[in-house]
Amino acid sequence: MDLPGYYEFCCRVKIIAGHDALERIPGALADMNARKPMIVTDKGVSGAGLIDIVTDALKGGIVIGAIADDVPPDSDLRVVNRLANAYREQGCDSLIAVGGGSVMDTAKGVNIVVSEKADDLMKFSGANALKKALKPLIAIPTTAGTGSEVTQVAVIKDHEKHMKMAFVSYFLLPDVSIIDPRMTLTLPSAITAATGMDALSHAVEAYTGLAKNPLSDAHALAAIDLIRSNLVNVTKNPGDRNGRLAMASAATLAGMAFSNSMVGMVHTIGHSVGSVCGVPHGACMAIVLPYGLEYNKHKNGHLSAELLLPLAGSRVYTETPKPERAEKVIALIRQMNQDLHDATGGRHARFFKEVTDREGKPMVPKEKLPDIARTALSDGSIFYNPEELDYDDLLMVLEAAWEGKPLD
Amino acid sequence: MFLPNNYEFACPVKTNSGNRALEHLPVELDALNARKPLVITGKDAAGKGLVDVLIDAFRDSGITIGVFDGVPTSPDLILIRELFRIYRDGGYDAIIAVGGGSATDTAKTLNIAVSGEPEDLETCAGENLIKKPLKPLVYVPTLSGTGYETSRYAFFGNKVYTSHFLIPDLVVIDPRMTVPEDAKTTASTALVALTQAAELYVSPGKNPLTDSYAYTAISFIMENLVNVIKNPQESIGRLSLANAHCMAGCAFSNAAAGMAHTLGKAAGDACGASHGLCMGILLPYVLERYLSLSGYHIADLLLPLAGFDVYAGTAEEKKAQKAIDTIYGLQKDLFKISGGAIPRTLKDANVSKDILKNTAAKAAGGASSGLDSDGCLAVLEQAWEGR
Repeated sequence: MDLPGYYEFCCRVKIIAGHDALERIPGALADMNARKPMIVTDKGVSGAGLIDIVTDALKGGIVIGAIADDVPPDSDLRVVNRLANAYREQGCDSLIAVGGGSVMDTAKGVNIVVSEKADDLMKFSGANALKKALKPLIAIPTTAGTGSEVTQVAVIKDHEKHMKMAFVSYFLLPDVSIIDPRMTLTLPSAITAATGMDALSHAVEAYTGLAKNPLSDAHALAAIDLIRSNLVNVTKNPGDRNGRLAMASAATLAGMAFSNSMVGMVHTIGHSVGSVCGVPHGACMAIVLPYGLEYNKHKNGHLSAELLLPLAGSRVYTETPKPERAEKVIALIRQMNQDLHDATGGRHARFFKEVTDREGKPMVPKEKLPDIARTALSDGSIFYNPEELDYDDLLMVLEAAWEGKPLD
Repeated sequence: MFLPNNYEFACPVKTNSGNRALEHLPVELDALNARKPLVITGKDAAGKGLVDVLIDAFRDSGITIGVFDGVPTSPDLILIRELFRIYRDGGYDAIIAVGGGSATDTAKTLNIAVSGEPEDLETCAGENLIKKPLKPLVYVPTLSGTGYETSRYAFFGNKVYTSHFLIPDLVVIDPRMTVPEDAKTTASTALVALTQAAELYVSPGKNPLTDSYAYTAISFIMENLVNVIKNPQESIGRLSLANAHCMAGCAFSNAAAGMAHTLGKAAGDACGASHGLCMGILLPYVLERYLSLSGYHIADLLLPLAGFDVYAGTAEEKKAQKAIDTIYGLQKDLFKISGGAIPRTLKDANVSKDILKNTAAKAAGGASSGLDSDGCLAVLEQAWEGR
């Protein structure tokens, strides 16, 4: 196990996981001397009936101060301030965020406003501007992928000033994350597949990246092991509660791994396809992951080779000669995309040309690739990729990932 | 990978490890809203010049630090009263413990007093009686420790404090502080960590997060312990062992103590023998006993013990025994390279045979493991005599 010259690792979030995890929220709130939480979520989550499951689990234990279920997908400062007012009016003393990235970010923003009694949220943007603990925040992720339940970042937009503010602080880590399979049980199979591959890309990039460390490695290996044994099964059998718990656990492990190391070109390209063409994040990650490993192979092939053990088990690992293990890992990830493609009736895209919107229209026209490559050049994660990437390199990878051809 | 139906895990520790890690302390303290830390350590660390390195790290930071470097092996309440006065009158707002054992126990105990009232030392003794976060606590490890430093435990006199709030906020592992120790101290500290991590890694109470910390700790110890004792100048090896010791403590906060841990501590206490050496001796015997019980994951242990290639290359049905044999192998190597100073049997560790029966009965009474008093006694007797 390699010890880097210097590293830091921190994940102070308490994890409560399992089939009865939601029922343990009242106890977790009591531990933090909180009695009256505000639930923050979005219409999609409440429409899927998930808030009913949460409130049922809280029944008898606590009083819910308020439920704000209208966080928009591109939440902003106005939403944060409106929710903060509701929090104060109802005399709430804690927050429960149920949902994905936008909900988590919004709840974190509300928490800064109500804890710091802030009129101007801007004062707290940037790194380490927060100096003390905020109000108790419990995160309940509703997809198994992003890992945003264990990250210390919040991004909040100001639509009036056309600005995006980033807040980075260990005080933004949720106090508790609840990993309960009931929250992902009804995810459609294509989303299950894409978010699962998102988690895999977090773990793989953490393990093979430049800022890896012993603890991010261990979390990444565990995540990959769980994803290998469960993702395809759960995509085929959405009602498999144990598989759902395994995937939710894997996403959290992968989130802990990548938020304490760095991600590279899979995210560089993924972010850019997302921002230019509006493709969901997980779908991009799934497509680019094998290309990232291929492109970086001469730099970190010895590391991707090790992933053959969690990805394929003892027998395949032993039977594959050492120099062939990295290739085998790449092949297995491609096979995983293929299996997910089959398990979702073709809705899980293997290549960019297969990505379509709800009307079946292609989302990534080939002529957009140069745009995407240019956008990628200014994505921060590009600096953490093991091998350098210029515009031509990015375009070459994008063209291959569009067509579905391996890199030479 | 084993996934329980329900599990919980928390590790509030931030780890900073590596070159010039101490120089990050001013920034880290600022992030914890602390400006004036009191350093607590024993004469041993001070004598080795470690405190000077720490003081140097604060040069140019504008931060004033206090240093108390007189913690004895068995501190008493008079010391806590003295430290309480120093902390309060000096306007300190955080504690940095340098070195394990009594220095850290004293720092944690002092933290209970200064975060509330001195009377809390009476009312908070026991399980989960501390009700709110304490002042920021930083732990700077050396190569000598009891295994409880990064855990939720503090031992002071005859009192045991158990609380999530006792876990350090920050651990700073710096190669200038992990200076060489004698073979027995190095081994004892590492073997507590190995026992904590390995027992948790095989236990029915494990989960993927305890696995991650335990896996890392076990790997580091197996890859470095023998080397470091052979060649104490191995700086990266020493740093790896200190990492292992901190991570094992983090995992340990999330589970009940295993049988080798419980028996090793009890036998050590009864005879004034080293806890760590006793635990290390007992570990493979306890694991062998677990082979016949269901719900234990002995085969999994081969991965961190022996690495990817050996694990993958060993047939499934042979993995568990191979894991146990690997630990016997470690015992043999340690015995050999230390010229017999690191014992392989409880007998050689100066544990009296007379105490075994009583120790077994007591351990089984308070135990979380599947072993009854007879099982404990059998393990103790085997480990006393050796194979």
